Amino acid sequence: MTGPPWADSAITLRTLRRTRPLFRGFTRADLPLYLPYGYVLALGLAIYFLQSRLINGPGALDARFALIVPLALVAFGQTLVMFTRGIDLSIGGLISMASALLATHLNAGGGLMILDLLAILALAVLVGALNGALIAYTRLQPFIVTLATWSIWGGVAFAILEVEGGAPAPGLISAVQGNIAGVPKSVWAVLLLFAVWRWLRPTRFITDLTAIGSDEGRARLMGVHIVRRKIQAYALSSALAALAAMWVTAQTAAGAPNGGDQFILSSIAAVVLGGTSIFGGKGSVASSIVGAITFLMIPDLVFALNLTSFWSIFFQGLILIVAVTLNSMIQTRAGRR
Amino acid sequence: MSNALGVLRRNSSIVLAFAVAGALFVAGTVQATDFASYTHVRTVLISASFIGLVGFGQTLCILTGGIDLSIPATLAGSAVLTAFLANGKSSELLWIIPLIVGLGAVVGLINGLGVAYAGVPPIIMTLGMNSAIQGLLLIYTHGGFASAPPQGLISFVNGNTLSLSTDLLIWIGVAAFATILLSASVFGRRLYAVGTNPVAAFLAGVNVRRVLLVPYIVSAVGGALTGVLLLGFLGQAFVNIGDEYLFSSAVAVAVGGASILGGRGHYIGTVAGAIILTLIAANLQLLSLGTSAIQISYGLILLTTVYIAGLRLGRR
Repeated sequence: MTGPPWADSAITLRTLRRTRPLFRGFTRADLPLYLPYGYVLALGLAIYFLQSRLINGPGALDARFALIVPLALVAFGQTLVMFTRGIDLSIGGLISMASALLATHLNAGGGLMILDLLAILALAVLVGALNGALIAYTRLQPFIVTLATWSIWGGVAFAILEVEGGAPAPGLISAVQGNIAGVPKSVWAVLLLFAVWRWLRPTRFITDLTAIGSDEGRARLMGVHIVRRKIQAYALSSALAALAAMWVTAQTAAGAPNGGDQFILSSIAAVVLGGTSIFGGKGSVASSIVGAITFLMIPDLVFALNLTSFWSIFFQGLILIVAVTLNSMIQTRAGRR
Repeated sequence: MSNALGVLRRNSSIVLAFAVAGALFVAGTVQATDFASYTHVRTVLISASFIGLVGFGQTLCILTGGIDLSIPATLAGSAVLTAFLANGKSSELLWIIPLIVGLGAVVGLINGLGVAYAGVPPIIMTLGMNSAIQGLLLIYTHGGFASAPPQGLISFVNGNTLSLSTDLLIWIGVAAFATILLSASVFGRRLYAVGTNPVAAFLAGVNVRRVLLVPYIVSAVGGALTGVLLLGFLGQAFVNIGDEYLFSSAVAVAVGGASILGGRGHYIGTVAGAIILTLIAANLQLLSLGTSAIQISYGLILLTTVYIAGLRLGRR
């Protein structure tokens, strides 16, 4: 905006320095994506020295990962949407609606349970595709479209289930508990998400999403089907949010008609802590999952410091503000606005 | 005369908004005759005034292409903190209200600095701020339990000044101030310029960052003062007191004809928007539909109005 006219197109010395690999396949611009691993290590050590049983006590691992699974799922989808320079606020309403349905109308036991879960998943894909279609066809800003659909699905959730309660299928509740090969299912679930990302990362789908986020016009010229890719990104975000709703509803054994709202802040925080650019085009789902783990270590740290639990609400808001400010300052300096 | 017609034509979306408000009023009156009674109209206007008051800051934010999602916590924080600190004594308000305004200004300043100087998307900045304020409030008040507000505040808000409810009088004052600010001040010009095209505004010599800072401060201070008024009106404070204003403030601005992309709209439209939303809620209540229906309709209205505004913008 203020620089010399050639600054936009030419490769400056700074760009060269930023993109020169420090190690094989690792440049300075990738650094923010590796910071969350450091956060987890630092927070983990701090909590361990303050109250070691929070880390290695009986059942501690399962209790931590049971909370990490749903946030990792939502953050997975939020990252994909952020690749396209979008944001998905509607997951708040969708998780509430799915949770309300799972605890009331769609709580059949036995073999029918699978059908109910598939119905929820199909509904979520539809809801997400609607977001994507509205954003892609009407060219409305993602935040305003998903703000509106957040309100709509949140309202529907309250119409289905007025207060927290209901009864999810017993099969669903037992499905998330226990171990496989001596390791809690929650840990397996998080590992599975890492594996899915490893498989997904080199695909054309992810390349297209980041191309859209970097420069939509150029992506179109390169032959990226913008509308289809946006619909897919938002549909996937919704589907993953629905899986998160299933996990939470099973874990708490109850439906919560406003239980989804907290995932808006936490999923965005996980993505931002993970170092994915909020201006699209660059990031990593694996880093977002580690960001989610970081975010969920805050309540443990607050507990280990013997503070009231209200401090975690404050710190979780504060960490989002600080992380997003640093994130956008780094991205703006890199000329990626 | 032709000049007046021109003003109406240029602001056709605001005229349309008032027409919709009129139609909703007629719809309510058809269903229940006492819909048009003095007491009911007064109740509707007072409910609308709270949306309208927080809508002032929200209008300014949206005019610059931003949004303020920290209104719920600012509003609740001010209401609970006022009741907590006053502990029933009216005389304490003399220092509490300036303190609340100061705290509001600090909140707005942090939001504004993040948005204007660090380049953070407003939606993420204010969402994080909402949680941070809520946390601080809960820590300070040990869970947000506050005593009843001072009697002086209750009688001030619910009382009459010049045979009009004090609260409505304040709203009229804010509307007048907003109109002068947006239509007849240098700052108003700069705000529209920044909202329409920040690069062009920068080249024209506008200090873009400083202009972007102001809406968030106005919104936070406005939210804080509205919290005090709402505390007096309801006679109690609770942590979720501001939650409904998250959607309603933004939807009122959009319904009032403002463009979410910034640069187009006026506070007078937001006034109509606030009345429309309150009338819709009143109509839904007549059909014995509750909060969930209100929330769903807010979402649908937001989508449609924003879509229509986009079409109008595209045609130009």
